[in-house]
Amino acid sequence: MTVKTITSSAYEWVDERLGLSELAAFARHKTVPVHSQSFWYYWGGITLFLFMVQCFTGVLLLVYYRPGADAYESVRQITVVMNFGWLIRSVHAWSANLMMFSILVHMFSVFFMKAYRKPREFGWLSGMALLGVASVFGFSGYLLPMDELSYFATKVGLEIPTAIPYVGAAIANMLRGGPEVSEFTVQRFFALHVVVLPALFLPLLGFHLWLVQRHGNAAPPSEEAKPATERKSIPFMPNFLRKDLAMWLITLNTLALLASVFPWALGKQFDPLAPAPAGIHPEWYFMSPFEMLKLLGAVLPGEIGEITGILLFSVGILLWVLIPFYDTNKDSGQRGRAAHYFGLLAIFALLATTVIGYWTIR
Amino acid sequence: MNYPFWDIPYLGSGWVIGIIAIFHVMISQFAVGGGLYLPLAERKAMREGRTDWHDQLVSYSKFFLILTGVFGTVSGVGIWFAIGLTQPEATSTLIHNFVFGWAIEWVFFMVELITAAVYYYTWNRIDAKLHLTVGWVYAGASVATLVIINGILTFMLTPGDTWLGVAGTGQEASKFWNAFFNPTYWPSLLLRACVCCSLAGIWALISASRINGDKQPALKASMVKWSVKWLVPSVVAMPFLMIWYYMMVPTSQQALLTLGIDTINAGTFSAVTRMALIIIITSATIVGVAYYLAYRNPVDFNLSHAIAILLLALMATGAGEYSREMLRKPYVIGNWMYSNGVRVPSANRIDREGYLTHSNWTWSADRNGPGSSYSRGEAIFRGECGSCHTLDGYRPLRQLLSGRDRSSIGNFITMLHEHKADSPYSRFMPPMVGTQQDINDLTDYLNYKVNPPAPGAQKTTLTAQK
Repeated sequence: MTVKTITSSAYEWVDERLGLSELAAFARHKTVPVHSQSFWYYWGGITLFLFMVQCFTGVLLLVYYRPGADAYESVRQITVVMNFGWLIRSVHAWSANLMMFSILVHMFSVFFMKAYRKPREFGWLSGMALLGVASVFGFSGYLLPMDELSYFATKVGLEIPTAIPYVGAAIANMLRGGPEVSEFTVQRFFALHVVVLPALFLPLLGFHLWLVQRHGNAAPPSEEAKPATERKSIPFMPNFLRKDLAMWLITLNTLALLASVFPWALGKQFDPLAPAPAGIHPEWYFMSPFEMLKLLGAVLPGEIGEITGILLFSVGILLWVLIPFYDTNKDSGQRGRAAHYFGLLAIFALLATTVIGYWTIR
Repeated sequence: MNYPFWDIPYLGSGWVIGIIAIFHVMISQFAVGGGLYLPLAERKAMREGRTDWHDQLVSYSKFFLILTGVFGTVSGVGIWFAIGLTQPEATSTLIHNFVFGWAIEWVFFMVELITAAVYYYTWNRIDAKLHLTVGWVYAGASVATLVIINGILTFMLTPGDTWLGVAGTGQEASKFWNAFFNPTYWPSLLLRACVCCSLAGIWALISASRINGDKQPALKASMVKWSVKWLVPSVVAMPFLMIWYYMMVPTSQQALLTLGIDTINAGTFSAVTRMALIIIITSATIVGVAYYLAYRNPVDFNLSHAIAILLLALMATGAGEYSREMLRKPYVIGNWMYSNGVRVPSANRIDREGYLTHSNWTWSADRNGPGSSYSRGEAIFRGECGSCHTLDGYRPLRQLLSGRDRSSIGNFITMLHEHKADSPYSRFMPPMVGTQQDINDLTDYLNYKVNPPAPGAQKTTLTAQK
């Protein structure tokens, strides 16, 4: 028996039980539109790749990480004692940041291609839910090393919910596991980070990917306006898949570069009695809301400012999430243009407040 | 020393050279590789009667002429400007030692520029065979520029014992050929030749990606696939050439790499090893991406894909040039001149007589003109540390020394001054040269920056007199 015969028999055996040929036939028939904005199609795949890197490195970190009072010491050991521990931790931290970046790029590309319109409303909503969970992943993971910066940044972050009337203080205490950020907070955040959030994220991700398979990639309105004969597309298998793999390779290269040239630093161990060091700030993807609240606090000082800030935020996020339900028209009419300007305004506000935030770090 | 100090806050003067050089290398090596690509492609088109290739090559040669003739030459002049300001002592040595080399280099530059213009403007105007000959003349001249500049660049890493034997006697130019064909000359030349071919293919992909695949699928597929094949010499030869290069590098410089490899698992490996890793990872990525995006999908290959490959090549080139520079540490010219411009044989004299005694461009407080705006310590910092460090920015001393008090900073500087062979810093940092007074002045200055006095405390500035 030749190798080819053995491979062929093995494939037939598996195919008979799992129906691989049907999957392959489905993939062959699936097509991806080709146009001047096709570049943005890769960002969903890049996000998926980075999430897989997160899972892989996260499991490796889990082997040595000890939540609670030993948290800082265990991260120190991972970074300076364990062979290649620095690399695994660095890749985990960098890929988390790159994943947040690619999610944002993916979200805005979907927004401007109007890919949330009928029948893709659930795709948009599940994507927004994934963004929300990923943000909490970022927030909870940031505290786990328990160094000076992560401790004080989390402390500031957990003071924000206290502005919510009546229930704010209770929510903040529940998240902290007490009145102060402590080893109990790390325990809670750890449980959230490795159990609760993956349990939410994975089914949501599966649902999101299933919707992408079901409805395919949306073309921008300018492309949809063209007659069917003028629209171009390529087969998903193997043409688009090869390109996707090349993009994954570039992402891996960027990640390797960042992780090896700029290894993720570990600061000093936190001291709850020490004053907060200068330059405490949240991660870059939380800088914009943090700065917006700060700016609003300067205009409307006190409790009224905090409540107004949270209200404005809630309304803004709600408007953003519900866009498939009020920008429904396929034609680029008045409402479509308004949504477009809303997107541009959101990008401008995010960028401007992030820049101001970093500019004014003291 | 003999020249004014060029102070570039935050970025550091070295990076001014670095940024211009990385940009220049991307284009100048393309000028060599592209010089071979064009006549070979034209010959192929002639032999196979591919008129569609002919039209594409006309357009490509215009792109080639503009990119190499304008951006290549301007950035080349930029490098001279930057190295003259940043490393005037080393630049002076290179000019004096390689007068003949520079002269012939510039002759070939002129031939390159003229033939590149003639090549583009005579398409369809002169006999096809003569046109091809013009292309070959360009190719020969551009390869000659590489052959010459490679001798000068490799000299800086490995000047060779023969040249070092006459260095400082005024007879340096008599050993021109020994300095030129130095130990790392051949591996470096072949490495650069491979990079030139790769860059020719990568830049050609930029041009080929713009062919309309719907209207001319056969042309696009053939041009894209042929261009990807220009990466093959690098894929095959680079690993062996890199090993050869490594074997020819002095043992002290090899130690920088091996130290890095030995300590990679603990994450404390040296910057040069990190850069070497980037070269390997990025080169492998370029091959993979070129295969998936271009070779297997030539008709769908678009400008964004080509730019992605170009950016990866920029990353690999940047890492390559950075490693080459880092590998020379603690020298700018191996065993002859330290990276801060102090000549190795002058170190003992400066230790006796003082660093600022030999610095012609520091103000003297007893003259009638205005006094120095900076202290002796700052003058020493600018001269001895400024070519590699900044206060706040690239390799920031304020951060690197943070947590140390005056005594600790003084001990560190004394350790650099002693420059003992077993000190790890001796492998990549030059000695701090000067008298005990110089050490104290530099310590005071750095201590003032790292541990600023309380507000309101009186600042004592000792002017930078000799």
